[in-house]
Amino acid sequence: MSKGFAVIQAIAGIAMTLLAAAAPPAGAQGTPPAQGSYAQRYAAVCASCHGANGRSDMAGTPVLAGQHSFYAITQLFLFREGRRDNPAMSAVAKTMKDEDLRGFSEFIATLPPLPAVPPAAPPDAARMARGQALAQAHRCVICHGADLSGGQQVPRIAQQREDYLQLTLHGFRTGKRPGYTQAMTEALSGISPEDLDTLAYYVARFPGAATRPPGK
Amino acid sequence: MARLRPHAATAALLCVAATAAWAQQPPAEEPGWAKGRPKTEAATRMAPVPSFPIPTAPDQLPTAKFKLPPGFKVETWASGVLDARSLRQGDKGTVFVSTLFVGNKVYAIAEKGDRKPKTIVDKTEFATGIEYHKGALYLATHKQIVRYDGIEDKLDNPGTPAVLHDKLPGGQDHSWRYLRVNGGKLYYAVGAPCNICDPDEAHARIFRMNLDGSGIETVARGVRNTVGFDFDPKTGSLWFTDNGRDWLSEDLPNDELNVVTKPDQHFGYPYCHQGNIADPEFGWGKNCGEYTRPAALLGPHAASLGLAFYNGKMFPTKYRGAMFIARHGPWNRTVKYADIAVAWPDGKGGAKVEPFMTGFVENNNYLGRPVDFLVLKDGSMLVSDDHAGAIYRISYGGR
Repeated sequence: MSKGFAVIQAIAGIAMTLLAAAAPPAGAQGTPPAQGSYAQRYAAVCASCHGANGRSDMAGTPVLAGQHSFYAITQLFLFREGRRDNPAMSAVAKTMKDEDLRGFSEFIATLPPLPAVPPAAPPDAARMARGQALAQAHRCVICHGADLSGGQQVPRIAQQREDYLQLTLHGFRTGKRPGYTQAMTEALSGISPEDLDTLAYYVARFPGAATRPPGK
Repeated sequence: MARLRPHAATAALLCVAATAAWAQQPPAEEPGWAKGRPKTEAATRMAPVPSFPIPTAPDQLPTAKFKLPPGFKVETWASGVLDARSLRQGDKGTVFVSTLFVGNKVYAIAEKGDRKPKTIVDKTEFATGIEYHKGALYLATHKQIVRYDGIEDKLDNPGTPAVLHDKLPGGQDHSWRYLRVNGGKLYYAVGAPCNICDPDEAHARIFRMNLDGSGIETVARGVRNTVGFDFDPKTGSLWFTDNGRDWLSEDLPNDELNVVTKPDQHFGYPYCHQGNIADPEFGWGKNCGEYTRPAALLGPHAASLGLAFYNGKMFPTKYRGAMFIARHGPWNRTVKYADIAVAWPDGKGGAKVEPFMTGFVENNNYLGRPVDFLVLKDGSMLVSDDHAGAIYRISYGGR
């Protein structure tokens, strides 16, 4: 595992602590507000870490803009069940009833995809080419689509945060990050940590992908 | 929810070409389900759709939209049963419900009372194949088959089960099981480890073993993936559904309804589909005449799952001795459909199939997807629905 990855893990740990502070008090549990208020609840519960428009600028915290509701509800479910290991998100999700999982995920799907903030320096062309070759060789596009926008239960990954992509890819590879199935772990099992970092670099800078509306 | 999005736009691809050195990397294996998939945009956007992770609210269930033959009615028997798959019943009335990708659980539901599911097995991947026999619950996952003795007296703490078979091949593709006990043997199947490939001797077969796990033998070969089988109470023959290969086309091949009539029959996979289509890759040099033909065809990509002979007395005479088949519905076909079918053996190795309960699809979206059946002692029949997380009860009241 690379040194850079360990640093990111540490940053993510801090982010999770912040997240925990943002979790609503337990008293919110029994009183789901009326339909249609999930925009306000998102603003109150999620936006401080994930961004009001869904483009997080917090280390280790995923961009939600342009994410699919099916994927979002699945992750909320896995957090609530404690199957996806993230104490901060599990603390938030445990306060949610089934209709809240649905309300939050459907609201998230209304956030349009937003391009990443352009970096000061242009991407390293050689590293981008290497990342593209890896994405082809390891068949990322089979599920995530040629434009990496995903669909249904498959997440949009184009222009996701690089540090979060790194965390996720390493987590799947080592089996720490679960899905419903081991599909991602199987897909990544033969890839070296350096190549995962290169994939994250490439996917985070994936060109021209943030213009399509989110799917249902 | 499980809607397919339109995919008109194609992505702008990087213009930077991979260097020769990188291009020499051997490509990674495709996931098994994607083997044989065309490279068109419409096809590449179709990935397996898991069940929605929350059950449909009781007042949103499609129960009132189902259509049945005259005299039949359907009601919601239990709701809030996340990912409800196989159904079996204990001697004392407990209904056992298994799950697949989402639940990782087996539930027990008391027949009387509020019918809230109680989790009795938890955090178990592919906890899908279940059977009840002489006080014991048998559970088959992708990796092993275990037995919980005296289960109905130990629902609060089933304890550690006896392991009967721990050499199942595991894996992801077609590794969810279905179980039946018949004649002192436990029947189970291991599907093909892929959409289309030439499987080894541990895959694409129905097996049986003694109830203590000994004496494993092959019952049928060339079975791509059966998730539903039962024995004809009149003849003792084993009937099974088999899910046809993907990516040949939207409308071919059909799922098969098969019947085992003698030992060591081969039902065609991967060489021949639906009895008359040689596989474009594995069918070269093979002849469909070499394989046992299906008794009936069940529709393209139908995902024919649970199969149960109706052995009750409530339904009209014509349904006694018929089998019910749950058509779960396609994931990789543009037009969706799902229903409960009923099939009658014709006594000549074939069967007549017709729709029995419809209404699972609205505007090309699934409202529910049937999985398995359980005939209750009063002759009514339960149907599980993993999509809506519910169990329905079908009864007949006459006109």
